[in-house]
Amino acid sequence: MGTFDYLMHGFETALTWYNILFAFVGVLIGTAVGVLPGIGPMSGVALLIPVTASITGGLPPEQAATSAIILLAGVYYGAMYGGSTTSILLNTPGESSSVVTTLDGYQMAKKGRAGSALSISAIGSFVGGIVTLIAMIALAQPLSTIAIKFGPAEYFSLMLLGLAAVSGLAGKSVTKALIMTVCGLLIGTIGIDNVSGIARFTFDIPWLYQGVEFLTIAVGLFALGEVFKTILEKDEDDGEIAKINNLLPSKEEFKESAGPIARGSLLGFFVGILPGAGATLASFFSYLMEKRISKKPGRFGTGAIAGVAGPETANNAASGGAMIPLLTLGIPGSGTTAILMGALMMYNVQPGPLLFEDHPQVAWGLIASMFIGNLMLLILNLPLVKVFAKIIETPKKYLIPIIIAISIFGVYAVQVSTYDLLLLLGCGVLGYFLSKNDYPIAPLVLGLVLGPMIENNMRRALTISDGDYSLFFTRPLSLSFLIVTALWLLIPVLLKKRGKDVVINIEG
Amino acid sequence: MDVKFDRFASAAFLAVGVLFMIGSRKLASSSYGSSVGPDIFPFVLGLVLSLLSIRLFYEAFRGKGQESRKEKLQYKPFIIILLSTLIYILTLETIGYVITTFLFLLVCFQTMERNKWVTSLIISAGFSGIIYYLFVNVLKGTLPGWPIWFS
Repeated sequence: MGTFDYLMHGFETALTWYNILFAFVGVLIGTAVGVLPGIGPMSGVALLIPVTASITGGLPPEQAATSAIILLAGVYYGAMYGGSTTSILLNTPGESSSVVTTLDGYQMAKKGRAGSALSISAIGSFVGGIVTLIAMIALAQPLSTIAIKFGPAEYFSLMLLGLAAVSGLAGKSVTKALIMTVCGLLIGTIGIDNVSGIARFTFDIPWLYQGVEFLTIAVGLFALGEVFKTILEKDEDDGEIAKINNLLPSKEEFKESAGPIARGSLLGFFVGILPGAGATLASFFSYLMEKRISKKPGRFGTGAIAGVAGPETANNAASGGAMIPLLTLGIPGSGTTAILMGALMMYNVQPGPLLFEDHPQVAWGLIASMFIGNLMLLILNLPLVKVFAKIIETPKKYLIPIIIAISIFGVYAVQVSTYDLLLLLGCGVLGYFLSKNDYPIAPLVLGLVLGPMIENNMRRALTISDGDYSLFFTRPLSLSFLIVTALWLLIPVLLKKRGKDVVINIEG
Repeated sequence: MDVKFDRFASAAFLAVGVLFMIGSRKLASSSYGSSVGPDIFPFVLGLVLSLLSIRLFYEAFRGKGQESRKEKLQYKPFIIILLSTLIYILTLETIGYVITTFLFLLVCFQTMERNKWVTSLIISAGFSGIIYYLFVNVLKGTLPGWPIWFS
């Protein structure tokens, strides 16, 4: 079967009534998550994993995995649409990838052009999403064919590269990011060892035998951590919401933003594929690029539509691009994709080169549903943007306790254990203090998800070579991955030494 | 950035790293058919964590002693919500989902902002009731619904 047949089958899967519903609910919640400052895409997805797990409980395993991932991915890219709304109307970005949008978007809103800013960013996001999807379809098969030839040594080195890339770009201090990564890897070793069957670091507590549940840690660190932050650092200054007048941009505005949208799609896609980069960096780069090549750079910051169109396209394209290494290589390049990967693994679906062969329904169903989801978002965001803007007014008073209640319900529904709830609460407190002191959390979750796989591949490689560690350095592909890993970690340190500003990724 | 926190954290991470190293020494150093045992990966990680935490301590020490920003933190609501979450978790299995969730939400709503009692009551009751009904009756999940001495 060719790619096209697979895609058609994907559409068959994605167009069943409940998958359409799942995609719709996903993008709807995603938009809300994007609009609400305080919950980002990471905590939104983490929070919804247990909820979707209980909703899809009645379906056969393969279909359950497909539907769940359709919903969760919908939240992810839906958040990229929603984030722009608050940036433009309120000057408060709903999530970190929309920070640059505030620069010109809010200025446009102040000048009474909020409507065009919003619709251009929705159109840009749509184009960006579709472009990356097409690229994903073109790249999926070839990449998997290459990846399938990787041995355990290559996989080990590639995963190290993924970890290093995320740690090197997350947060202010590489040391802290690396510490978090190693902590995640160490937590991953708790439980029964897959290879030898020995219980490690369990202290004979039965609850620990199956290992520390990824879900509990992720929901605790992200969702509860952010909730506690909102409670502790209550700020009262809610800005005034700008009015939305005419929704459709004028012809000139369309003309002006066509270039930035095209460039933003490509740039965002390539930044998205890179591990560790992601939507925030993509939008940032796009803004800088548009400013540099613009004929009138002075207009940026005063309400240039190119400054809205470019970054908004780029962050959506990047969120699609980030799915490619996840689906084809099984290596998540960011915190959110790590959570998506954890979700897939909960359903016994292993992302990676075999995904497209073993679970074509999941892989192609997801890709097809992203087409549908993006279309839904475009329709949702253009006429309904006023409704979404209202979500911002949801009082924190009700929102915060309900988020706590949902996390507790979700974790309990999946784990049915009070210990997990205690761990959840502990992680929440820890998550607040860690992120407050610039310890990035995304690397920890990434380490937790990748840890067991890294260890397995390392030990398989070493078993093949009979304990000879030089294996990792003599196989050319593995060696080149390791060299890139080292460079990725060293270059930012060297640049910092020379006093240069290093762009960091807040989203992780 | 709070230098004090970093110093404390580096000590804690060092302890974790060393403990993992000690713990992995007790594991078998080989497994059947392989000279590579389950001990090597955690041991190396423990070592890396210890080295990184020493580096962190050094960085925190060298840091120009930046004073932590004086922020006004809302400790009182935080403590109340934290404690009520803890009580909620601990009583969930004995008193059941519906009652604990209702009380928990009510307490938290009023802690966040003390007004609109009626709305708070309606939302707490609605949330706990609807979630319980949907999960148990529609999705056929298991939740401890009512107090154990009740049924």
